[in-house]
Amino acid sequence: MTGRVRGAEPLARRMWPPLVLSLVLLMTWLLVDAFGDIVYTDITTKMFLMLMIVLGLQIFSGNSGVLSFGHIAFMAIGAYTSALLTIPTAIKQFTYLSMPHFIKFWVFPAQLNWLEGTLAGGGFAMAFALITSPPIVRLAGVQAGIATLALLVIVYVFDVQTSAITRGTSTQIGVPTTTTLRAVFVWALIFMVAAFAFQQSRFGLRLRASRENERAAKSVGVRVPIERAIAWTISGFVVGVAGALYGHYFGGTFGPDDFYFNNGFNIVLLTIAMLVVGGMTSVTGAVVGCYFVTIIYEGFRRWEVNGIAGVTPPAGTSNFALAAALLLTLILRPNGITGGKEIPWPSDWHLPRRPRGPRAAEAAPEPLSEAGSAAS
Amino acid sequence: MTESWRKYATICLSAACALALVLLILSLQLGSPSTAIQYTLDSMAYGSLYALMALGLSLLFGVMGLINFAYGELIMAGAYTMFFTRSWGWLGMILITILIVTILSLLTELVAFRPLRNASPVTLLVASFAVSYALQEFAWTDGLGLAHQFDATIGTGPQKGVEPYPWLTNQFDVSGVLVSKLEIVTMIVTIAVVVGMTVLLKRTMLGIQLRASTEDFRMTQLTGVKANRVISAAFAITGVIAGIVAVLYVFRNNAVAPDMGQGPLFVAFVGGAIGGLGSLTGAALGGFVLGMIINILGATLSIQYKSHTQLFAFLLVIGILVFVPDGLIAFRGSAVARLWAKFRKPAVEGTTP
Repeated sequence: MTGRVRGAEPLARRMWPPLVLSLVLLMTWLLVDAFGDIVYTDITTKMFLMLMIVLGLQIFSGNSGVLSFGHIAFMAIGAYTSALLTIPTAIKQFTYLSMPHFIKFWVFPAQLNWLEGTLAGGGFAMAFALITSPPIVRLAGVQAGIATLALLVIVYVFDVQTSAITRGTSTQIGVPTTTTLRAVFVWALIFMVAAFAFQQSRFGLRLRASRENERAAKSVGVRVPIERAIAWTISGFVVGVAGALYGHYFGGTFGPDDFYFNNGFNIVLLTIAMLVVGGMTSVTGAVVGCYFVTIIYEGFRRWEVNGIAGVTPPAGTSNFALAAALLLTLILRPNGITGGKEIPWPSDWHLPRRPRGPRAAEAAPEPLSEAGSAAS
Repeated sequence: MTESWRKYATICLSAACALALVLLILSLQLGSPSTAIQYTLDSMAYGSLYALMALGLSLLFGVMGLINFAYGELIMAGAYTMFFTRSWGWLGMILITILIVTILSLLTELVAFRPLRNASPVTLLVASFAVSYALQEFAWTDGLGLAHQFDATIGTGPQKGVEPYPWLTNQFDVSGVLVSKLEIVTMIVTIAVVVGMTVLLKRTMLGIQLRASTEDFRMTQLTGVKANRVISAAFAITGVIAGIVAVLYVFRNNAVAPDMGQGPLFVAFVGGAIGGLGSLTGAALGGFVLGMIINILGATLSIQYKSHTQLFAFLLVIGILVFVPDGLIAFRGSAVARLWAKFRKPAVEGTTP
């Protein structure tokens, strides 16, 4: 008996983190689908959308260690592409009057369903990522951050100013509202497994090697720019799909400001904050960070709106709470909640070591939050 | 002495050459030399302000690897201080603004960045984002209830802020070129701050400690330099510069809003990086160049592409980053070094300089 089990153990160990995370996502979906009202469904849908972006960021930034502000540009591209290709032809003909002919002649007849539109959005974002990769992958550190930021600005300015194609700051008309909670759940699940598979693949391994020590990685034959370009392109697809789903979720009421440093909801920095607070280098970290930020922010938001026992905090409490939670978490755990580690195998769990105090040792470990401390 | 004098002479000369080139291109493009001079002057005033912004950000990056997203909110706080004290006369207003921004800067260090002293740059960046988020939210919701006391509507969006001083912003004509006192003041203040910072960094004990900290923070601590003091000093200097930027920025734009800090932050971040965020001169140069690029592109692009000015400017930024990743300052250094090598005789026969 034990022989068979032992033979399967390495594989099971490998599959363990995505398995647990899938269960977490599945439980979230089932619970919200069964008991959630329209508000919780909305919150969870948005959370899964954010999770996809954070996973996309994790694929690139987490594995390569290069910071990117530019992934939201892929989101914009995915959203616009999918919207343009799925709007019914009859509506397109009178809303995009000044579209240049060379785009018109293939965009106008196209009328894809939501899946094709989403894949087209992701694919287009992926193509854009591929084109932009040569300059980006050569850079690291602050320079890479600025270059990706420049990319974001370029796409934003294009969205705002090229109103013949993007309708400028006005909203789109006639985008089918097809994104449901189930759809975003399935996509998030796929991307979570994909992010993990990429991390474990040879490409991910080489990239992680270059993150730890670029020179050492180069010396054993890792072509750092190429590995980075692969991750950049894949993450472009992931974030592009998230953007396409985002466009279909709001039925076209999205504008360029949704994909930029927006004051109300700063998606660029918030997704980075989610990733870092969870633990940048692990997929678990991406998921935990996304859940953590959403729960804190929306929890206080609910409190602001509904009140608990008749007490409502002043407006803006949720934002202060989020800022305070981010700061506190980073001060207590500078490498994120998970410490950048995946969920360890159950038998590897051990209690957090405390030098003194008999009662500290009795504290039972919680699977997610203690995973990092057990490993570190 | 002569060595550094020659270095500065070369820098000034190359700057003058670049300026002359810009003037030439502009006058060919725009037709008349006086319009070209006008544009160049405007760009220089613009670029000076940008250089100041970048300067404040780069000091903290150099000392502790922090890209301070709360820097924009420091400027915002300064603008609000100016708004509240607008009846105090300009000198009182400026002094209290700089004071309050400096205190706020020190407070952010105490609350947020001191516990994160040895964290990675990404962690620091997210922490500074949290600080910026909280400060901005504070302005939106008017946390202290200041709006009622000062007869203002905070948190409802942009509003008319500090009234412009006519003697400061009125333009006067110098043989066809329009100049305002504010533009001249901006340039003079920038030069004064750059010179002041240089003197502070090269001639004082604090400056030596600061520079040592930028080189190797741990080693500096081991030699007995007090880390808290050095970093507090860096935050205080950042606060002073942010205060000065706030004053000049508000005099120029007049409007005051909770999200007004984003523009200057952006400029400081991008400008600093293309110049070289680690070095102060580099950051100032980068900010200046960015201001020049945006203004000159705005002047020379044809009407059809004018609304896309930022697009082309940021394409150029990517280009600069790819070809000169360490910033323009490194480029200048190597170019000057190569030029020098040509003219210099080796001190000992056989050794190459």
